[in-house]
Amino acid sequence: MSRMIADFKAFGLAYLRSRTGFFFALIFPVILILVFGAIFSQTGTQKIDLPVQDLDNGTWSQTYLAKLNATGAFTIDMISPDVDFNRYIKDELKVLALQIPSGFNESVNNATRGHGPPATIILKGDPTNTYFTVGMGVANAVALQLNSTVVAMVQTENLGSPQYTFIDFFVPGMIAFTALTTPMFSMSSICSEYRNRGFFKLLGSTPLKKSEWLTAKILWYTVLMLASIAIMYVVGIAAFSAHFTITPMAILLVIVGVFLFTSFGMFLGVFVSNPESASALANAIGFPMMFLSGIFFQLESMPAYLQYIAKALPLTYLAEGLRATMSLGNDVVAATDLVILLISGLILFMIAARAMSWKGK
Amino acid sequence: MAEVVLDAKGLTKTYGDMNAVDNLDLQVFKGEVYSMLGPNGAGKTTTVEILEGLRNPTSGTAKVFGFDVQKDYDKVRSRVGVLPQTFEPWDRIRPPEAIEYWAGLFGRKISKKEIRGLLEMVDLAHKDNVWGERLSGGEKRRLGIAMALVGEPELIFLDEPTTGLDPQARRGLWEIIHALGDAGKTVFLTTHYLEEAENLADRVSIMNKGKTVVSGSPEELVNLYGGGTHVVLKSAGEEGFVALEKLGYKSTFHNRDVTVHVPALMRTKDFMAQINQSGVAYKDFETRRPSLEDVFFNMVGGRMEEGVLKQ
Repeated sequence: MSRMIADFKAFGLAYLRSRTGFFFALIFPVILILVFGAIFSQTGTQKIDLPVQDLDNGTWSQTYLAKLNATGAFTIDMISPDVDFNRYIKDELKVLALQIPSGFNESVNNATRGHGPPATIILKGDPTNTYFTVGMGVANAVALQLNSTVVAMVQTENLGSPQYTFIDFFVPGMIAFTALTTPMFSMSSICSEYRNRGFFKLLGSTPLKKSEWLTAKILWYTVLMLASIAIMYVVGIAAFSAHFTITPMAILLVIVGVFLFTSFGMFLGVFVSNPESASALANAIGFPMMFLSGIFFQLESMPAYLQYIAKALPLTYLAEGLRATMSLGNDVVAATDLVILLISGLILFMIAARAMSWKGK
Repeated sequence: MAEVVLDAKGLTKTYGDMNAVDNLDLQVFKGEVYSMLGPNGAGKTTTVEILEGLRNPTSGTAKVFGFDVQKDYDKVRSRVGVLPQTFEPWDRIRPPEAIEYWAGLFGRKISKKEIRGLLEMVDLAHKDNVWGERLSGGEKRRLGIAMALVGEPELIFLDEPTTGLDPQARRGLWEIIHALGDAGKTVFLTTHYLEEAENLADRVSIMNKGKTVVSGSPEELVNLYGGGTHVVLKSAGEEGFVALEKLGYKSTFHNRDVTVHVPALMRTKDFMAQINQSGVAYKDFETRRPSLEDVFFNMVGGRMEEGVLKQ
């Protein structure tokens, strides 16, 4: 333990004295939050993701959905009638979703003949969200155009979701982004530099064990990330009145994320010959991962094949889990993501620790 | 009989077709300064890294304090200090911080006073506020020695500690190594500087092409393999040179001085008597005892210049 603490202290000291490391760990994410927050907080022109559960599945409901789809305002995703829809909306972090109740067809027919009130379509979600308001307007307009008389109307159901703005989406993503870049980019270079400059051999001549060295690095990056989260939290609240909170689950996710990406960086560093190549390789892997994992925009807005790729990337689960717990209070989704990250991290750690050698050949 | 600290038998390290270390045997005893001398590429660093547990041999065995370096090195690592050939300190760590760090790795709590003492020993106390990257080459090596000593090791490996240093810095390091020897530490020193080995080592092994050519104390080696004394006859002139050649002595002529090689088995006194009887005129004479350089030349068949073997 004392050996690990000694390594942690010395490494941390050297790291903080490196202006580059300090900048990218603590300052750069804040700059991105300020820039992206300012750009995207006021916009909302993309298609709205709309999960639909049709419990009636009759002629009128299909007609309605076809007309709704024809507006081009929504990306409709059909959800099975067997699914607990309210639970689904919460788990999948949807700001709005549409449900067509059973008996819809009969109600429309009755209303058409003047034998009853207009049928009801239910729009569920967060009424305070801009997307919800826009979605309700379009859904109601389509309902009114079903027939020459009013045969259907949209009712809203508030599921009590908190207000979910771009910054609430973006800051947890930025935390995930920093948990990727800081440990992974720097570990890949460090491993390569340590090998080239003989530091591994030097360390190998002491009683310090490889596992202790690795744990000290993971500990250091965890502490650094927690400081980074605190700064991002303050900036998000102060500059954009964000609504997220730092939860114990968020801390756990960050720790596991740091563990995973430190191991990943170490894994990359083992196979490259110099720090420049390590940095280039980390960039080549890290940057596409950032964009494909929904850090800057929602995965649902991507083509389907890219969404499949995103599902294979660990950063996707870290960003999703952090958003779930920090912005939407949904620790069930976050816990699932945590397990996926932990398993991936353990596998990577074992591979990297096995591949890395302090001995010469 | 002194305790054996290092014991290698049939140590071999092969890379492809090349034997970097070729069936090497060596023993180092407690409290001695042992120097492995040889040109670049002789296999010194490979040997030392095997003995430090940082490289596996292809065959053969090596034991440190009786423990096999491949299987049980963890049991003795805290008793060994290492200064690698390519030692560099961390860029943004100051010397006192580096020493505290290294002490921590050896599980030692070290006081400010002890740190100061170590820095004074290696003459770095005045650099306690300077980052590692801003130290000179000699200062870096001295810091490396301080770090190697911080775990209070019984055995210290110094792999070419003075290579590339200016003469003053080299002398400074020699003093430190002398002090280590005086303190009863066992020191394993590799070098390609003959005068360094001669000055510092209790025993020397000359290594070339992965093999030990010869080993023993510097005095033994000089006596056995130095090839005798050189006598310089001042102003003996060309006539003297010709006369000595006729007497069967191998001589060189330079600036009117003649340098004569006196065979190892002949006493200098007897040689001078013979010269005086033969009538060779000279103004003065001086003798030069052979050194390790002569041993090296005689045994390896070349001279070393900054680690490069010149045949």
